[in-house]
Amino acid sequence: MAMAALRREGRRFAPLVSSPNPINAIRSTLAPAEEQMGLGVRSISTQVVRNRMKSVRNIQKITKAMKMVAASKLRAIQVRAENSRGLWQPFTALLGDTPSVNVKKNVIVTISSDKGLCGGINSTSVKISRALHKINSGPDTECKYVILGEKGKAQLIRDSKKDIELIMTELQKNFLNYTQVSVLADDILKNVEFDALRIVFNKFQSVVSFLPTTATVLSPEIVERESEAGGKIGDLDSYEIEGGETKSEVLQNLAEFQFSCVMFNAVLENACSEQGARMSAMDSSSRNAGDMLDRLTLTYNRTRQASITTELIEIISGASALEG
Amino acid sequence: MVIVPATTGQMGILPGHVPTIAELKPGLLSVHEGNDVKKYFISSGFAFVHSNSYADILAVEAVPLDRIDPAQVQKGLSEFTQKLNSASSDLDKAEAQIGVDVHSALNSALTG
Repeated sequence: MAMAALRREGRRFAPLVSSPNPINAIRSTLAPAEEQMGLGVRSISTQVVRNRMKSVRNIQKITKAMKMVAASKLRAIQVRAENSRGLWQPFTALLGDTPSVNVKKNVIVTISSDKGLCGGINSTSVKISRALHKINSGPDTECKYVILGEKGKAQLIRDSKKDIELIMTELQKNFLNYTQVSVLADDILKNVEFDALRIVFNKFQSVVSFLPTTATVLSPEIVERESEAGGKIGDLDSYEIEGGETKSEVLQNLAEFQFSCVMFNAVLENACSEQGARMSAMDSSSRNAGDMLDRLTLTYNRTRQASITTELIEIISGASALEG
Repeated sequence: MVIVPATTGQMGILPGHVPTIAELKPGLLSVHEGNDVKKYFISSGFAFVHSNSYADILAVEAVPLDRIDPAQVQKGLSEFTQKLNSASSDLDKAEAQIGVDVHSALNSALTG
């Protein structure tokens, strides 16, 4: 667009420059106004500014609409995310939260969004995942990634391609429900060997703030080992276990159920934070567009005013010259 | 008191119960508060009883019993029984078996 405007401008100035008769330029001040506008001698073209204003106005309309959409989606998902918190709290009450556990096979499950334009939530969860990866990988331990969502994949695939075990995208195409998430959790449990799963997601706090969070799910063997060794989950031994043939079978079921529940909550929380972040990002960008529009309007009007004033002065002084 | 459908049989939990982890099967969960009894049907899950007289019950789905339509239950039960009889592969059979189990549990919860 800018190029086209430049070309137009060039054409307008061309006859002036190539004019063989220099008197033309002097005479032009006395010539009728129409001819001058045609030549474009005095008035600065306001076309470019007008076009820019139009495009800014359109951008503002789009960002406003996106904010509205995000707000309505947020309201729907916020209730579900907050209700789903009840699903992991009993597990934490029973097993405690053990982010510092030291195991051989670590798997980091990074949850990110599929779509962009939602502020920094994907970068934060990727950053936390990288840090966790650094902490947990050593000479005798290994650390792998499982990535959910297009944006996390784009960021992590660049430098840690060899550590990525599994990538899943288009999570939010369908309505998020427990069945979908449990299928997903099942996929991860089947395809990835782990001693500890560390799920990284953004916990929803309010529309403008979210908290990068990790949830740790241990494999049944590690749970048993840790409970025998005492420490945070040492109380587990005092519990009687009902159902199932052996204790390890129940623990297996428990760990799998815990993983699907924690995942369900994590996915919902992240989706909720995404909408919140998108809403505030779109809000600030439409405000920004408004500011820009104000500045452009001011420049536009000032230029217009100036050209009108110049024209008036010229007409008046021309008339008085004729009289005198 | 709550009565939960553990895989080993119905289990009543009163304050001061020994700490327990119990797997649940599809069945009737009843919550007794004084003379008030609230009944829910739950699909499956876990129950944790803590030593501080707190109990957590985790279920994927829980529905108040009066919101279940008995006619639908009967229909579903006969459908899955039929499927169980005609199932050929192990997977189909297992799926149909689960359907039959859930529906018969629902049925007995409704009639009992």
